[in-house]
Amino acid sequence: MFIILFLLASRVSGQTITDHLMMPKKDFCTGFLYTHEQWKDYWEGAEKRDNQNIGIITTSQIMWVGNYGLSDKINLIAMLPYVKTSASGGTLTGLEGIQDLTLAIKYALVEKEISSGTFTAFAILSGSTPLTNYTPDYLPLSIGMASTTVSPRLTVSYKLSSGWYALASGAYVWRSNVSLDRPSYFTDGNIYFTNQVWMPNQFAGFYSFGYNKNALQVELNLTQQNTLGGGDIRKQDMPFVSNRMNAMRLGVLGMYYLPKPKNLALRAQVSYTLNGLNVGQSVAVMAGFLYTFHFGKKENQ
Amino acid sequence: MKKFYIIVLTLVVLVAIPFSCKDIISSENLFPLTPGNVDANAGTWKSISLVSNSQIAVPAPAATNSTAYLAELASIKDVQSKLTSDQKNSIAYWSVGGVLRWNQFFRKLVAQFNLPPVPNADGSYSFADAENPFGNPQFPFSNPPYAARAYSYVSVAMYDALKAAWYYKYQYNRPSPYVVDNDIQALMPKVDLPSYPSEEATMSGAAAEMLKVLFPVAVEEITKMAADQRNAVLWSGKATASDIAAGLNLGKAVAGFLTAAGTGRFRTDGMGASIGTPALWQQLADDTKAKEETPWVSLDAPARPPMLPYFGKVKAWNLSPAQIIAERPAPPPSTSSEQMKQELAEVKSFANNLTRSQLAIVHKWADGVGTYTPPGHWNDIAEEYIRDARFSEVRAARAFALLNMAIHDAGVACWDTKYFYFNPRPSQLDPTIKTSTGIPNFPAYTSGHSTFSAAAAVVLSYLFQNSTHYFDSQAREASISRLYGAIHYRADIELGFSHGTKIGSHTVTFAQTDGAN
Repeated sequence: MFIILFLLASRVSGQTITDHLMMPKKDFCTGFLYTHEQWKDYWEGAEKRDNQNIGIITTSQIMWVGNYGLSDKINLIAMLPYVKTSASGGTLTGLEGIQDLTLAIKYALVEKEISSGTFTAFAILSGSTPLTNYTPDYLPLSIGMASTTVSPRLTVSYKLSSGWYALASGAYVWRSNVSLDRPSYFTDGNIYFTNQVWMPNQFAGFYSFGYNKNALQVELNLTQQNTLGGGDIRKQDMPFVSNRMNAMRLGVLGMYYLPKPKNLALRAQVSYTLNGLNVGQSVAVMAGFLYTFHFGKKENQ
Repeated sequence: MKKFYIIVLTLVVLVAIPFSCKDIISSENLFPLTPGNVDANAGTWKSISLVSNSQIAVPAPAATNSTAYLAELASIKDVQSKLTSDQKNSIAYWSVGGVLRWNQFFRKLVAQFNLPPVPNADGSYSFADAENPFGNPQFPFSNPPYAARAYSYVSVAMYDALKAAWYYKYQYNRPSPYVVDNDIQALMPKVDLPSYPSEEATMSGAAAEMLKVLFPVAVEEITKMAADQRNAVLWSGKATASDIAAGLNLGKAVAGFLTAAGTGRFRTDGMGASIGTPALWQQLADDTKAKEETPWVSLDAPARPPMLPYFGKVKAWNLSPAQIIAERPAPPPSTSSEQMKQELAEVKSFANNLTRSQLAIVHKWADGVGTYTPPGHWNDIAEEYIRDARFSEVRAARAFALLNMAIHDAGVACWDTKYFYFNPRPSQLDPTIKTSTGIPNFPAYTSGHSTFSAAAAVVLSYLFQNSTHYFDSQAREASISRLYGAIHYRADIELGFSHGTKIGSHTVTFAQTDGAN
């Protein structure tokens, strides 16, 4: 899992925090998304290998998502996952628990008709923080990184009236120090006599191409995580929370608003890690539902 | 719109708070050392490895009014007149006490080299080879027994060398440069101690020469560390070039005495035979089966050869081979006994019901792959006590030597016990037991953590008698952490702990009569 859990938050949020859709004023969209993720091979530094002492790492998560239209131009978004990890090989136990709460505010900065399409730019500010005192020092079986993050994000999209669209989004992720349960650790060539770990910041990119008209959305997307610093996992060493964890993931997403019951959407995504550093090469399958409440107006309008 | 800006501003402020301290990570917890007592009589204390103080000759220094010495003073003044910020940083770095710095440095080297060999494609493993240290795997794999022995040799070499330095210091009584010449500044804390031979240079020679043998791949880093210490003491006005040269020679000679080919203790203590051979490993399993017990098997995948099965035959510092056998704990519960079933059930219960605070204890003491090991953890604990006691360099070196001799002896005696009984880990007898830390690649009975920690706590309790309760509670926590982690039975930790207590007392007996009290 390494980063992957961390990525999950940004990936699923990718469909609220990074997408080109806005909830209209006083609409509230909420639901649960289940993700099942597995990997056997991982990158130890840049070298790809497997490890029979962990076998296959499985991470499952159930995430609650909520997105409220404060106005047509401002959305408030919240996400909270429950995560469970396990290893098929070796003796190490898995862990589970409530992970990090993410809160975001999304603002439609520019909306402009250009030829036969609409150009939109969004400014998003999101933050996340662990809600429980889980350990980040048990990778690859920790349920998260236990860092508090803040990320300003800019997203631009262009959508044709036919429904085809393209989108690019980038965020800078500030990450707070994390605390370990031990008084000393070795990483990136140095020993530290403290339980505090400095976490390198990250760049999070999201790029998608898809079709969205009426009740249907389908898209192909790339999720990029670049950690701006940190050490590699050394040969036969354990991964460490501040490692330089990079990943490029390819995903296929589908979402469909059912004709009945109204306002209920089903959503599914499959994604695969194309390449990375200090992360597992995972395959993730996500499925879930979202329901929209219209608080501002009557149904069927 | 106004509302929006207020929301954004509030969010920014709220989320910025946790980041305001982000870059203040300092692992510096030492401060400039002014010893409470210079220990002028340290030359009369008992050596550990040297036969006598004068075993390594240090020639008389030139007089302080000689041309050669005056030239040395002039060069210090010249350097001090144009110190760079890097040079000042070096002086500050070493002002906290060289013995503490070197101890931190070898904890770093142990962590750096504490990586097991990667399995070969066919599932076999290659061994780290001292004759081919840069190969794959690198030499050494500084696992806990290797580390225990390494910490002890470096600490003993530093102590014996410093003790001899003290003897010569008071034989020759040459003052520090800043005492001889008022124009020379004292940029390290002033210590009322003769400066020939320089204690910093002495320890740099002893530590570096030992470490180069123990961690040959790090030769460049070790050499730089040692040179930096000697430069810092010269720039600080505390020692001249001849004080430093004499100390360096003395320190190197002590390490050379320990590591002399064919005769040095380091070469003849049995470490070379501690790995054994496949036939010997099979013999361990066969002997255990002959006693109608289930023999240990490696739970690494692919199965890994046992870690240093003959480390129990390595020479101890303060126990004879006969004492090691005589004090070996009684047999563990038979693998087929009712008691073993109960102990296994207890392990499983911890594995399945572990609390967050118990997990924190497991991880606090895990000290596994890529760390400074349990012996390093106890050096880490000792550091702040030695710092706060404001020990002279020679007394600080003695404290680490005593601590690390006891830890080494604990390692030897524990490994003797482990491979004598060859007892399986809980997860071997019940594969449904999942552990919350890595499972060590050696037999269960008795617990290394418990033995190391109890022995270390006994020595530290002797040295710092006001903190006995703290050391004991830490050792007990280290011990129980292995049951919480589901990698040891209760018998392993309880008998290991009492065994470790006995082993530590042998070093205390030495300390009580070494003349330093």
